[in-house]
Amino acid sequence: MDPQFLAELERIVGPDGIVRDDAELATYESDGLAKMRSRPGAAVLPGSAEEVQQVVGLCHAAGVPFVARGSGTGLSGGALPRPDGVLIVMTRLKRILDIDIPNRRITVEPGVLNLEVSQAVAGDGCYYAPDPSSQVICSIGGNLAENSGGAHCLKYGFTVHHVLGVEAVLPDGELVRLGGPALDNPGYDLLGVLVGSEGTLAVVTKVTLRLLRKPAAVKTLLAAFDSTEAAGNAVSGIIGAGIIPAAVEMMDRLTIEAAEAAVHPNFPQAEAILIVELDGAEADVTALFSLVQQVCTDSGAREIQVAQTDAQRARFWMGRKAAFAAMGRVSPSYYVQDGVIPRTKLPEVLARIRSLEEESGLRIGNVFHAGDGNLHPLVCYDDRIPGQPDLAQRVASDILTFCLDAGGSITGEHGVGADKADQMPKMFSATDLEAMQRVRCAFDPRNLCNPGKVFPTPRLCGEVPGPYRAHPAEQAGLAARV
Amino acid sequence: MDRLAAPTEQLIAAGSAQADVGELRAPTAEDTVDGVQPRLVAEPSTVDRLVATLGWAADLGLTVRVRGGGTKQQWGAVAQPFDLLLSTARLNAVVEHRHGDLTATIEAGATLAAVSAALADHAQRLPLDPPWPARATIGGIVATNDSGPARHHHGAPRDLIIGCSIVLADGRAAKSGGIVVKNVAGYDLARLMTGSFGTLAVIASATFKLAPVASSSRTVSIAMDSLEDAAPLIARLADAPLTPSALELEWSPARLHVRFESVEAAVVQQAAEVGRLAAGSGRATTSEGEAESRLWADYAGRRVGPGTHVKLATRPTELVPTLVRLRDACRRGAVEMAAAGRAALGVVEVRLDGSAAAQARVIEQLRESLPPGEGSAVVRQAEPELRRLVDPWGSIGDALPIMQRIKAQLDPDSRLNPGGGPGGI
Repeated sequence: MDPQFLAELERIVGPDGIVRDDAELATYESDGLAKMRSRPGAAVLPGSAEEVQQVVGLCHAAGVPFVARGSGTGLSGGALPRPDGVLIVMTRLKRILDIDIPNRRITVEPGVLNLEVSQAVAGDGCYYAPDPSSQVICSIGGNLAENSGGAHCLKYGFTVHHVLGVEAVLPDGELVRLGGPALDNPGYDLLGVLVGSEGTLAVVTKVTLRLLRKPAAVKTLLAAFDSTEAAGNAVSGIIGAGIIPAAVEMMDRLTIEAAEAAVHPNFPQAEAILIVELDGAEADVTALFSLVQQVCTDSGAREIQVAQTDAQRARFWMGRKAAFAAMGRVSPSYYVQDGVIPRTKLPEVLARIRSLEEESGLRIGNVFHAGDGNLHPLVCYDDRIPGQPDLAQRVASDILTFCLDAGGSITGEHGVGADKADQMPKMFSATDLEAMQRVRCAFDPRNLCNPGKVFPTPRLCGEVPGPYRAHPAEQAGLAARV
Repeated sequence: MDRLAAPTEQLIAAGSAQADVGELRAPTAEDTVDGVQPRLVAEPSTVDRLVATLGWAADLGLTVRVRGGGTKQQWGAVAQPFDLLLSTARLNAVVEHRHGDLTATIEAGATLAAVSAALADHAQRLPLDPPWPARATIGGIVATNDSGPARHHHGAPRDLIIGCSIVLADGRAAKSGGIVVKNVAGYDLARLMTGSFGTLAVIASATFKLAPVASSSRTVSIAMDSLEDAAPLIARLADAPLTPSALELEWSPARLHVRFESVEAAVVQQAAEVGRLAAGSGRATTSEGEAESRLWADYAGRRVGPGTHVKLATRPTELVPTLVRLRDACRRGAVEMAAAGRAALGVVEVRLDGSAAAQARVIEQLRESLPPGEGSAVVRQAEPELRRLVDPWGSIGDALPIMQRIKAQLDPDSRLNPGGGPGGI
């Protein structure tokens, strides 16, 4: 990178806020998607919103691309750096700025970790609802970029439902406030667009979140089934009975085995298990919980464990949340896929995945947020065997096709990032993507803010939008150019 | 830009000669908005025709306003002259109700009442209850992000929408999101459409997540002596381990309506708990069945009462103090006032009546009393005279330029509801 540009960066963030050494930069060459790597031209660790604003302003003036990174736990390469660009590492912006319990609001800097938010207000009987499996390490800024969900989003929604306001630096260095502690600020719902835009529209420097009161009652059960179909039927039965559980999670035999080997949650041996959690007012939970048990029994559950203590509930969840990492116990390598299907298509799609398993010879574990149809197939392979990594990637890609065939989506929570940008045309038409890119052009006409993510091909913002149209009215003598 | 100088009849003849354009007609008095009459009206009966009509309008450079049930045509700035009134009234199908997935795709022109009736077959509902359900359409509700008491638990349209089909200003069809409740692929244009007042694209259909209809319901209404008495009770209710589906504050007289929808045992127990919490603050009565339905129907009627409608939003704890200040200002300014809305969310609909000048003064004072960036007072329904005296939107804040850039990208010739969007976009 240009030495004068680097000197300017250093002037902004100070000598201890810039990383230029090639070996040190290796730390940042990938996020949670380790297969995609690229060393940034430089990395900066700003300590304040003002520094972020100056860094972005400098990049804009110099035409240098920049990528914001939180904890780097993303699974789609959304924080993949650019060799010709600056990586803005947000981990030093980690202050909790304001806690307003009566209004159930908290304002934090983006580097604050997800779990730290709930911990900060636990003493007041409150918590922050979105709980991605990586919540002990992932940051609020990253959650916002990815519109993170978690096991409990079936009932409580995603990050977008819990962000009330942000302060953000636009790609030209301008600082704006969107939303705030009151709802319904007049104007377009830019928060709704910014959340989940994968760092391509702005760099967020301050976030106001909605807190929830801890529910009066929580009940959790684990039900074991002889087939994933039976477990899937139980899920449909629960929803069909008009119950929206806080969470409904499914694991299949392979992921149960892996979790058992890794963290010993003492899960029963089964083809599939469901973890169902209800929360809310005492009377609600009591009445509906017995209904859920009945549905599970009617669907063929051969064993139901009800968590009697918080420790037992924590054990259920530990087994579930460890599922990805645990696959290392049963396979040298594995590919984590993230796709979504309408819940009712679960049996059909699982059958297709099973056929694919047989055809490819690769084992595929399945762990789902079953309540909302979010699948996480884990494609096992051995990277020492020539051809297997590519085969695993093809298998994972085929699973996405199954999801789309079923009317679903190529990603439910991991994001498009760099990983799935080339899959976007399978889900969206050229016009759909153009409409989205026009929004991008409004924010980032020079395509400097996390370029190369989300969209397969960048749009030049100077293009005249839309196809050329003949003017029939003009031809018919009805219209005249003014 | 192309401008058509031809009279309406010629325009209709030319349009009708185009494949799929239509169905076009001359305007009547009922098509007038704020005294402005469009040059022609289109009521396409299929989405293909909607697409073709907008393409044709783009070719001719016609300015376009969209109308669903016509319940909110007076919202926002006073209408500017425009060419084409696009009615979605005939695009009114519930395209697909995936009851097993708790989702539904609905065309823009379907009324909320028709949608409710269709979804009730499987004991489900779109949990939105804005005013005028018999006339208000899905497209209009999304375009204004309008909601009602159910927002307390279920959220606003922007919280329930999971996808949409739109027609861009140049007449091309596009979509965002999908039919699954969890989906982070691409930018969320469906949320961008909510509250955009038809200025960015025309909504053809939208997909929502639904809610099951609960088997039992109770409402506890608490009558209080003064508006001031409401604040501590709202705080106690919000802090209690209860899960109401609605928590509405009404004035005057000062009343709270707390609704529970769940299984019988749960609604009975929670209603009783509200009774205990309200002791000393007011007189609580619990209603169920027909009496409860009547209570909510009457309440809905009062919400859409005559006069100017202003949507006030504050931090929840600032809601009652702000209403008290507003009440006192109205008394001084010879303006009549009533209020009804989401007590725990800090969003209420205020109704004002009085001379336009006096109302304008009260609205300006109200805005000045709100801390910067921490609340808003948006004039929704009002006579044109008042909407000329005060900016219906108030301050949009420092994000207005980026909103204007989005408008310029999606509707470069500013033909879709020109001037009718937030901040006069």
